[in-house]
Amino acid sequence: MNNRAGLAAGALVAAVTLALPAVLDDSALAVYILLGLAAMVTVGVSLLMGYAGQVSLGQGAFYAIGAYTAALLALAGVPPLAGLAAAPVAAALSALVIGTPLLRLRGHHLAFATLAVQLILLSLAGQLEFTGGDIGLQGIPQFGVGSFEAGGAAVYAYLTWAGLALVMLVTRNVITSRPGRALRALATSETAAASSGIPVGRYKLVVFALSATFAGLAGGIYCFYTGYVAPGSFPVLISIQYIVMAVVGGLGTIWGAVVGATAITLLVQGLDRLASLPGMPTYAPSVLSYAVYALVLIVVVLFMPRGLVPAISARLAKNRKELPYR
Amino acid sequence: MLTVTGVSRSFGGVYAVRDVSLSVADGEVCGVIGPNGAGKSTLFNLITGHLAADHGRISFLGQRVDRLAPHRRARLGMSIVFQAARVFRGMTVRENVMVGAHGHTRAGFVSAALRLPRHRRDEREIAAAADRALERVGLADWADRPADLLPIGQQRALQLARALCARPRLLLLDEPASGLRGAERERLAALVEELRADGLTILLIEHDVAFVTRLADRVVVLDLGQVIADGPPAEVRADPLVLAAYLGQTS
Repeated sequence: MNNRAGLAAGALVAAVTLALPAVLDDSALAVYILLGLAAMVTVGVSLLMGYAGQVSLGQGAFYAIGAYTAALLALAGVPPLAGLAAAPVAAALSALVIGTPLLRLRGHHLAFATLAVQLILLSLAGQLEFTGGDIGLQGIPQFGVGSFEAGGAAVYAYLTWAGLALVMLVTRNVITSRPGRALRALATSETAAASSGIPVGRYKLVVFALSATFAGLAGGIYCFYTGYVAPGSFPVLISIQYIVMAVVGGLGTIWGAVVGATAITLLVQGLDRLASLPGMPTYAPSVLSYAVYALVLIVVVLFMPRGLVPAISARLAKNRKELPYR
Repeated sequence: MLTVTGVSRSFGGVYAVRDVSLSVADGEVCGVIGPNGAGKSTLFNLITGHLAADHGRISFLGQRVDRLAPHRRARLGMSIVFQAARVFRGMTVRENVMVGAHGHTRAGFVSAALRLPRHRRDEREIAAAADRALERVGLADWADRPADLLPIGQQRALQLARALCARPRLLLLDEPASGLRGAERERLAALVEELRADGLTILLIEHDVAFVTRLADRVVVLDLGQVIADGPPAEVRADPLVLAAYLGQTS
């Protein structure tokens, strides 16, 4: 994609993004916000898996940490903006603490360890007094800055998509620079990366924390939007969903995370509607959403192993008779 | 510059390297040769820090390094060209070489994310250094291509460019001639000659005796994990122990 086409495409996407909250009804707006939040987390997953080659099956844990942090602070009377700022910081700090022992593991072991972290956190949140147990925290005040208070869902939609834009910009800036090159290098060979003077362990930890930061920010916005958080809001399925989104969109592409999140969210919404038609059994919605993750993952890995965005851009490049790259 | 003193390493009770001592002087090209299984690769990994020694000490530039992590040794000025292709995938040739400059540049995550002036200045300098290194190894025309598409000979040259971009004090080459065809091998030899002329210190670990004896000022011969000869190429070639080690193995 050349610069001018890229700019035009970017402007179009921005215009549509800004216009949508004005035209969508409330239920569609809810989907739009949750989609933006999922994309925010998925950008982090894509950075972690696609660029740095590390797997996290527990990204939902950092989403939950961000949400609980912002909720607890807001309920304690801290201004919402400060609570929202604290959410990504808390997630990042937790990632640094958790990651220090965990990142010694690789591949499947790391994936299962991160999954275990999420299960432990969920069970803790369900038991502890200050997190509200299984019922969770309710009556979280609306988001606001100074005397302005978020009244409708549209404000959360703008907040979400502004957050997503920030996350995408930071990710792009990081990967196209010295630390980003170091991350991409260690994804291929930790030995060769170390021999180029890269402190491999520290870089893995920082990228783990950065991806957690994105999830924490999304969690913070989520808690203000829904007004309550509970362990049930952060099932393990949510972490798997982020991975499916990242893989479907294309690992190691920033736009892939957004495209993947959009595709999966819309698909799940459509199936939910189908499953809640009269005559469908009550377990249909959950069975169908599990099935769709599995099916979509298998189909993409078989037919578009690099994901949607790389497959499409390769096709475009072929039409222009250029060498496909990225 | 580099002093290895009484270094040993065993795997499951079998010594791969046993009580090896050698030193590389400033500006010297030192070759390490030996038949297959002589312990060359183990020695290489002990020097670079990818394996820990059981006994002995390794000093580099007057500092003891045998307990330092590989990336710390790299930052002191050890640059490596691996035998196996270690080209970073999903990056252009230029980006691959720019990774080499990691050790002597500073811009971190924050200045990269915020695009601070320091980051821009660093990026410009790193890209210029990478282009000079690519020019040097004859890959300037490939700079913007994906590195994974390079043929094997060029991948070796790419690694060499990355090593040079790190501003090395000591260049370590692990079997650089393996897998290269005649013309590629000649170009590599010419390049090593040039680097020596520039005063770079080089440690060359190589299976191909002719390649080493032609380039090295001094040759160390390993057999069964031990040093059996150490001296100028002509002397070493005539050494009966060396002849026996090689003759016993091959013809």
